[in-house]
Amino acid sequence: MSEYIKKSIWVFHLNTGSCNACDIEILDALTPYFDAERLGVKLVVSPRHADALLLTGPITYESLPKVIRAIEAVPRPRFILALGSCAVGGGIWHDTYSTIGGVPELLKILKNRGIEVDGVYYVPGCPIRPEALIYAVGILKGILQKKVKMRVRKAIA
Amino acid sequence: MTKKSLDHVLKEYIDGIKSIYPKADYLFSNDTLFIVVPKEKLRDVTEFIHNKMDCYLRTCLGSDERPLLGHFALYHIFGDDRNGLNIVVKTYLDPKKPVAPTIMDIVPAADWCEMEARDLLGIEFEGRKQYRLVLPVGWPDNLHPLRKDVPYNIRPRPSAVGERITPPKTATATIPVGPYHPALHEPEYFELYVEGETVVDVKYRGFHVHRGIEKLGESRMNYQQVNFLAERICGICGFVHSTCYAQAVEKAAKIDVPERAKFIRSIVLEIERIHSHLLWIGVAAHLLGYDTGFMHAWRIREHIMVLAEFLTGSRKTYGINLVGGVRRDINEDKKKQAIEVLDKVEKDYMEYLKALLAVPEVKKRATETGILPKEDARKLSVVGPTARGSGLDRDVRRDVPYAAYNYVDFNVPVYDSGDNLARLLVRADEVIESIKIIRQLLDQLPKGPIMAEDFEIPENRAAVSLAEAPRGEDIHYIITGDGRPYRWKVRAPTYQNIPALKVMLKGAPLADAPLTIASIDPCFSCTDRIYVINETSARKIVRIGIGLCPG
Repeated sequence: MSEYIKKSIWVFHLNTGSCNACDIEILDALTPYFDAERLGVKLVVSPRHADALLLTGPITYESLPKVIRAIEAVPRPRFILALGSCAVGGGIWHDTYSTIGGVPELLKILKNRGIEVDGVYYVPGCPIRPEALIYAVGILKGILQKKVKMRVRKAIA
Repeated sequence: MTKKSLDHVLKEYIDGIKSIYPKADYLFSNDTLFIVVPKEKLRDVTEFIHNKMDCYLRTCLGSDERPLLGHFALYHIFGDDRNGLNIVVKTYLDPKKPVAPTIMDIVPAADWCEMEARDLLGIEFEGRKQYRLVLPVGWPDNLHPLRKDVPYNIRPRPSAVGERITPPKTATATIPVGPYHPALHEPEYFELYVEGETVVDVKYRGFHVHRGIEKLGESRMNYQQVNFLAERICGICGFVHSTCYAQAVEKAAKIDVPERAKFIRSIVLEIERIHSHLLWIGVAAHLLGYDTGFMHAWRIREHIMVLAEFLTGSRKTYGINLVGGVRRDINEDKKKQAIEVLDKVEKDYMEYLKALLAVPEVKKRATETGILPKEDARKLSVVGPTARGSGLDRDVRRDVPYAAYNYVDFNVPVYDSGDNLARLLVRADEVIESIKIIRQLLDQLPKGPIMAEDFEIPENRAAVSLAEAPRGEDIHYIITGDGRPYRWKVRAPTYQNIPALKVMLKGAPLADAPLTIASIDPCFSCTDRIYVINETSARKIVRIGIGLCPG
């Protein structure tokens, strides 16, 4: 929840190598059936106008430099909505040769370069449901509560 | 086609190849003719198959067969749709230093797949310009991920330094847009070179979505898991990929799939086609500035999404395919509800279509723009609605029936004008045909199991499988291995269609470009490839987003 962003959230859609399923569900959320625009969500044409990034995909090496540049362009406070299993933790590509493996790895790279992100919201699902995206927007605006608490368990080797 | 004529055709091929190389080995299995020729004869054989027998190149692929047979192999897959044949030409290459002759000057379509083999397997091609295609900038030159001695999870340090996408001499008019355009669904990049209002050249760069799917399928997964992986090649036409993969394995292992499973596959394939076409029609309306049309198309599409969820359990990425059958049955109750939904969608859709085509702007802007003449379409061997909009009567569902398509009766819409309107009308008609097909399939749904029991997948068998995706024909090639595919190669439809953009865009006004680019319904997560056209008389560079371009 942000104390700065309470009203209309303008979003910029950043596909970092996703399969399009999440991307068409984002569009779906903006069309009549779900109509996220009633919550003030608007897809904008430049990251410079955006409050939050809708980041989909596992972040391929090829797209990484461009993703970093796009995140840098978002004015503070900047938020990332990591949409779909790929963005949340790399998904099925978490250890393949041409991806970095999701937003957690990206955050490390951003930290090394001194680029700050004010909040990350994880929306799992393969693909995400439009309802999940709307729920995430609700949390970001502070009108809904988070459903799960984060608990990190070590994977069994 | 009678058996005799097939034998006759086969004899023609074999005789022709024997006259070039008398010692050629061959094998005929399912619908595929496998031929082994030495690399010195590859160009002659290609010329014979491509030019004399009038086949077209489906794709080519390299394979690291050093652990098996001690060499690299290069496969060229040709298609003969008139006879429903695939011809696979295999060439052995040296295990230490694999070098192959190029066939790009004979078959221009081989450009990308040769460079892909070079990047991923280190096969060098003689007699052509070579460049980095698939792998990111900063990737070590001597590391080829598809080689069997390279682990799938090798990760050289990520390079956060991007290449300069624009060549320096034209970089003067740089607008900071990059490959990310907000309305663009995928990171890809078009450069249009314009003189005044007229487009003189076009350049496309992509490959931001290379995720290493083929390597993953060959190293970490097993046969059944790859179905789900294949579905994640593309979020829009994913079910086509997973069906095509399952069919390839079933063909290679000669598994008999129960009829009911085939029917269910076809039903879901058609549901996917309706959702994909409605998505595209909506986007096309948006690009024409008719946003009401966009919203209404997506409103109608939502019913199809709900139906898909009802039948398969998921709105997208259905996950019901397995090698040997499907995982979910359609019972009487579901059948009834599905027909109700289809009735409603059909009624809404017909109303919508009438309104859409009555809007003067839509008709005016789509007519006579982005023309792809029939001759060019044939030469470039375009597929799907792009081909059918240019008068080429090609549809895998009818020509090489798979799943349950030989039980249904449907029309293949073909329009001759080759403009954007023709491609729009092809898709519009296909939605109606798809609804018709689903009704017939639901009506005829046979009783029985939905999964083949007790089958084994033998090693070292190969098969080519085709399927008609919403965008054109999708091809999967598989070599079976121990518990998982030894080699798995995917060729998506957009791969064939992108070169046609050059013909469509050249000499056309800039304002028509977004619609024209979208008119092939490009899917970059499937294609993952680069197309670079030589720059000629580039005056000014203008970057455009292609709007709400669907995958």
